[in-house]
Amino acid sequence: MTQIVSKSGDQKAAEAEVDSFQNDLGPFVVAAETTRMAMVFADACETDNPIIFANDAFLELTGYTREEVLGQSFNFFMAHVADEEALALIRGQFEGHSETDAEILYRRKDGTEFWAGLFVSPVRDDDGDIIQNFASFVDLTAYKNEQAQSRLLIGELNHRVKNTLATVQSIISQATRTNADPQAIKQAVDSRLFALSRSHDLLSRENWRSAGLLEVIHDALDPFGGLDERSGRIQITGENIRFAPKAALALGIAFNELATNALKYGAFSNEYGSIRIEWTVEPSPTGRRLVLIWTEKDGPVVAPPSRKGFGSHVIERGLAHELDGSVQLDYLPEGVVCTMNIPAPVPDHE
Amino acid sequence: MLIVLMIEGILEDHGCRSVTSVATVNKAVSLVESQSFDAAILDMNLDGEDSSRVAVALSDRGVPFVYSTGNDRRNMAESARDHAVLHKPYQEADLIAALTQLFS
Repeated sequence: MTQIVSKSGDQKAAEAEVDSFQNDLGPFVVAAETTRMAMVFADACETDNPIIFANDAFLELTGYTREEVLGQSFNFFMAHVADEEALALIRGQFEGHSETDAEILYRRKDGTEFWAGLFVSPVRDDDGDIIQNFASFVDLTAYKNEQAQSRLLIGELNHRVKNTLATVQSIISQATRTNADPQAIKQAVDSRLFALSRSHDLLSRENWRSAGLLEVIHDALDPFGGLDERSGRIQITGENIRFAPKAALALGIAFNELATNALKYGAFSNEYGSIRIEWTVEPSPTGRRLVLIWTEKDGPVVAPPSRKGFGSHVIERGLAHELDGSVQLDYLPEGVVCTMNIPAPVPDHE
Repeated sequence: MLIVLMIEGILEDHGCRSVTSVATVNKAVSLVESQSFDAAILDMNLDGEDSSRVAVALSDRGVPFVYSTGNDRRNMAESARDHAVLHKPYQEADLIAALTQLFS
């Protein structure tokens, strides 16, 4: 609530002083009036330090008219007038002992709140007594928003790093379970770490919003050097469907496992083998489904493994869990076939 | 996803007969309501959603659980205070100790 207060004699005298130096010190006052920095003069001889001059920038910042402001106590537009901490900060500024900036929460005429940095300088008379206080206000809204954004991003970053570390831990754990030889362990860990790293690079290129299936597959097959589509040994057919980061990471890991197995035992382990990767999106009673089939042929004759390795575990259980669908690995004599049937991801709203 | 596989492996190594994992709040709630479990490990955040509904479903059915999170040790929600919390990445020993505690 604002009221136009009636002015005391002292008040009028104080304002007259400002008026008079307004006439004497023309350029300074013009500067104070026209600067975009919000400024006020307060009368230090009255309790509550009433405002006796407010520049246009101040009126714009707070939404009040000059009549509504003049005569009001300096703290009238604080958001929480009884906030002891804020009051102490303001007093510190007035008394000149504050080493640090005061950040105060203020409220505009329309009720909205904003943080401002408060800087107060005393104006002394010839005897050295403080007669007025000159205050400027820096709107900290943008700065506070950026701080909040930063905190959010740092929290997000921490979360991702922890997940990545836990994933690395899983990679190491698995590698040591299925291998006793240190070289074999190192090899198993290295190849998966690199796959993970490449997936992160892909997501970073896309600002962690999403990744396209074509890029995920190309990235996963990339280290198996020379085996790109030009060589004729890989055939990739399907639309570049976009996946959320977690799903893209899981797919990257799974394709890396499929390719690693193809290289060790399957279609990439000889000179003739080839791989066809194709997918379609089909309607179904449970909604749109993405069906992807990885088919190897012309590799050595395939025998089902006596014990399923980590790779197949990752593909059939891990990926199915992550993508909320079914993934099946079939060890057909003519070549491994992997069939994924998952809910089609909902398109991004770009 | 590899994390889930690792946890399943550890639990099986320690004699756990059956481990079921789901990745969304809705699936977790329907799983809890349709099957009985001896214990649960609950991520504080599932697929972008706060998991408190799952916590409630577990408590309603008397299934003891521990929380799992990647967050800073100091930024814990009030609701988490009554349950043990595992911080990722976790030590196998801590995981087993936390679950054993639930059964005592």
